[in-house]
Amino acid sequence: MHFSPISRTRFLKGSGVLFAAGMLAPAAVAAAAPLRVGMIPDAGATQVSVDEKRPLRDYLAGKTGHDVDLVIPTNYNATVEALGNASLDFAYLGGLTYVQAHARYGVIPLVQRSSDQRFHSLFITQSGSDIHSLADLRGKSFAFGDTNSTSGHLMPYYYMQKNGIDPDHALRYRFTGNHPATAKAVEAGIVDAGALDESVFHALVENKQIDGSKVRVFYTTPPFVDYVWVARKDLGSPERQAFADAFLGLREPRDGAVLDILRGKHFVHADDAEYDTLRGVARALGMM
Amino acid sequence: MHALTLAWHTFLAFFPPDLSPSYLRYVWLPVLQTIGMASAGMLVALCLGIPLAAYVGTRAPGWQSVVGVLSALRAIPDLTLAILAVVIVGLGPAAGITALAVFYTAMVGKVFAELFLAAPQAPLESLRSTGAPRLAVAIFGLIPLTLADLLTFGSYAFECAMRASVIVGAVGAGGIGTELVGAVSGLDYPRATTLIVILALLVTFVDTLGWFMRKNPRLALVLFPAGLATMLLNPPQVFVLRHALVTFAAMFPPLLDARALAALPVLLWQTLEIAVGGTILALLLAIPLALCAARNVVHAVVVAAVRRVLDISRAVPEIVWGLIFVVTAGIGPLAGALALGIHSAGVLGKLFAEAFENVAAAPVRALEATGAKRLAIVAFGIVPLAIGPLAVHTMFRLEWNVRAATVVGMIGAGGIGEALYNAQQHMHYQSMTAYVVATWLLVVLADVAGERVRRRLGWNNETT
Repeated sequence: MHFSPISRTRFLKGSGVLFAAGMLAPAAVAAAAPLRVGMIPDAGATQVSVDEKRPLRDYLAGKTGHDVDLVIPTNYNATVEALGNASLDFAYLGGLTYVQAHARYGVIPLVQRSSDQRFHSLFITQSGSDIHSLADLRGKSFAFGDTNSTSGHLMPYYYMQKNGIDPDHALRYRFTGNHPATAKAVEAGIVDAGALDESVFHALVENKQIDGSKVRVFYTTPPFVDYVWVARKDLGSPERQAFADAFLGLREPRDGAVLDILRGKHFVHADDAEYDTLRGVARALGMM
Repeated sequence: MHALTLAWHTFLAFFPPDLSPSYLRYVWLPVLQTIGMASAGMLVALCLGIPLAAYVGTRAPGWQSVVGVLSALRAIPDLTLAILAVVIVGLGPAAGITALAVFYTAMVGKVFAELFLAAPQAPLESLRSTGAPRLAVAIFGLIPLTLADLLTFGSYAFECAMRASVIVGAVGAGGIGTELVGAVSGLDYPRATTLIVILALLVTFVDTLGWFMRKNPRLALVLFPAGLATMLLNPPQVFVLRHALVTFAAMFPPLLDARALAALPVLLWQTLEIAVGGTILALLLAIPLALCAARNVVHAVVVAAVRRVLDISRAVPEIVWGLIFVVTAGIGPLAGALALGIHSAGVLGKLFAEAFENVAAAPVRALEATGAKRLAIVAFGIVPLAIGPLAVHTMFRLEWNVRAATVVGMIGAGGIGEALYNAQQHMHYQSMTAYVVATWLLVVLADVAGERVRRRLGWNNETT
């Protein structure tokens, strides 16, 4: 085997590029350690979606006096596990992910939007479709959001069952992964109907990401308790307090930019007991 | 027809890619993360895999069990490893590096071991007769004897690692994969296209780098600074040993309830359907494409153009095609089969084209001498002459696709992969382990069956 002598400059160039890659990539990630705040990817997870939430991050940093690292893992489970292995200090969870994380890792509920205490799932279909009630779903194709979503799977599934439609046999369903994807799938006619988070649906229509004239809400679930901000179990009480106070102090219109990101108007204390009913449903459906 | 129109419209939504400076400013970080993860994973894999392979290659005590362990590890799909790594070392590139390191240690270890075992024995014997210890035999005998093959396979593995670092990103390990899943699930298709283009460029870059590496093996040293820097700067988010052990313990023993157990055969069947369907589709696409990419069949200009098409379909991993087909063709086994089909068509197309170019010249010339038309020469000369290699490549692809079918299952193509993913998402870790074991058995069975068939037909071994 013959090796031509390597050119020093070429070698240096090659290693230089890769070295720079190795150095720079993580540096920007690892630089700020302080408060690590995670959010379930209920509306997608990208660098861009993290960046869009910059006002929230800056607000939290200002109020808590810590640098804040905002992370959106690619799936719900990763967010829960991250609280368990302490790679996140705080997180925004859905109702179902909360009861799972509480049971497994004793996470502490802090605050939620007042609307989260009386949250609803919407069932939507195309404007011209012949679906007008849950009973009409028989034999149709249907979209849930993420399998771990409270308003995109657990509660819609529960209310379908309660109304005499067994989703496992009466219809063909699939998971789209998140709420916007469900809305899009219904709008485009990929499925006959779908269920999703009311606040995401209204935001999509308002921002014209979904054509409001193409889809129609045909069923709204009774209220249930949903999203909540939590702290991992062994985080110090001063940090928890400061974090909760930051949310409780949000006021319109002063903090409009932050509240828009959170799709809420006003925050209140959250309490584990609120979740008893949801916990029962999750257990009954084998989801925890 | 309605479904097709829909699929077409969704497809169009992927164009044009978002090349705005503001977006490109965002993506450089994930791009560097992906390069860093692949380099670090590969560095660890080489540092662990080469000694393991040398241990086997020198037929040290218990070498057969080392081969067994490596083969067993290799049958765990990379995405499954990444899911486990995220649970154990937390989010971020550290999890990706861990998963890639394990997967490629097994791959490099196994393949290098095979190369070492196949090395000419005479020079090794003479080295041994001087009383040289095993280490010396490995360093001065095995490695120099097999260097060319080691480099060829090593650079191929690095190219695969670059694609795989996108795969592991899909479950939260960072890099382009995380961005891509986010962009697709956030319906941000033009940005998904940007990321796919970047990925194709990256794979091409690594491919070129590999070509230089084969000429100048010392170029492989670039892995050291790049890989080490990435590892130093991306320590595990937190490595709480107790948490890792508790989580790991919660995965055992593997357990499925009666209902899940009853559904298992259907899931396995679906996965096989995806694998077989994908391979057949790939075969149907690859034969005509390969003919148009063979220099002895068509004009060089056509060859160059078709080869670029093959390069692109190959550069994009199955899971990424899967993400695209899940939104265009809908969730289900069809999307999975299409994804496997398109990626495999790129792989098979290239291999088939080489097989066509390598057919014996004499019989083809004899046909030409009869005044046969071009099409007749291809149909009755070139294709039948290349049938052996075509069959071998297809068989290997089918084996690979069984593994890949479990991976695309996790993003919504159904089958055992989807069940595994859902069990993990619902933290039913004991069922998850049961699905991991079932997946593993399926892959091992496919590998064994493939090997049996090849041996019976007298086709020789080949490495992938």
